[in-house]
Amino acid sequence: MKAKIEKVLEEAAVNTFEDICFMYQVPELKDIQNDLTVEAASEVRYRGDYTGSLLIETRGGLFSAIAANILSIDNPSAQQKKDALGEVANIICGNVVTTLGRGKLGYKIESPRPLKKDELLQENRQDNPLAEITMNFNEGRADIKFFVDGDFVAREKKE
Amino acid sequence: MALNILVVDDSAVMRSIIIKTLKLTDLPLGDIWEAENGQKGLRLLQEKWIDLALIDIHMPVMDGEEMIRHLRENDQYENLPVIVVSSESDPGKIEMMHKQGATFIHKPFKPEILKEVIIAITGVSNEGKD
Repeated sequence: MKAKIEKVLEEAAVNTFEDICFMYQVPELKDIQNDLTVEAASEVRYRGDYTGSLLIETRGGLFSAIAANILSIDNPSAQQKKDALGEVANIICGNVVTTLGRGKLGYKIESPRPLKKDELLQENRQDNPLAEITMNFNEGRADIKFFVDGDFVAREKKE
Repeated sequence: MALNILVVDDSAVMRSIIIKTLKLTDLPLGDIWEAENGQKGLRLLQEKWIDLALIDIHMPVMDGEEMIRHLRENDQYENLPVIVVSSESDPGKIEMMHKQGATFIHKPFKPEILKEVIIAITGVSNEGKD
């Protein structure tokens, strides 16, 4: 199941960046963008058969580029940047949760929430993501992590 | 025939994405109206001539389900072509939308998919455009 979720996360992230942001990965930039620091992050929580969250972090200018591409403007405002990143997180999360559990309850996805730096450090300390992907673009880098609350592997075996 | 379209979504960013994608379909578009919830969407429908509505499900004040229910209960709008654009994953909700005569498009979506659905439910085509 973990492998399946990793695959779905990757597909959802690639499709969202290509179809919504009109951005295409450049894997060759991986080493160059390795040491970039986080500039922004957004979290979306979901509830249903399982609960958890999806976290997206941007580095190297991607935060602004996402909003600029989506809205077709040169200088997006701080709010537009937050909203655009949140929407990307929301769409990716909506696609990934469909693979969790048996879908008996469906999933309620909460509104995206921008994370402050201290919250981000806390998130990273507390949890290990079930699946994660790093995407490199000419405009910067995105790290996307998908969390399931509790012991997902043990619960899967039990069910 | 140019289509007058209503886009209902509480996210301004998502409305921009939908409008941008609509423009990429190369279909003949007339006026595009925006509303941030179902209530404002219904108001615009009373004021403007609208041929097609693209509606999100989860919105404050009045959500997409309620808006579509109102549309189907009103003789004037009962046959209005409706596309639900959402990242909703609940099969029950999606089925309910279908029963109300709405077509479902899952986010993210390509312009080609949106074009295909619009042509199928409105009968409009881009032949002879320009």
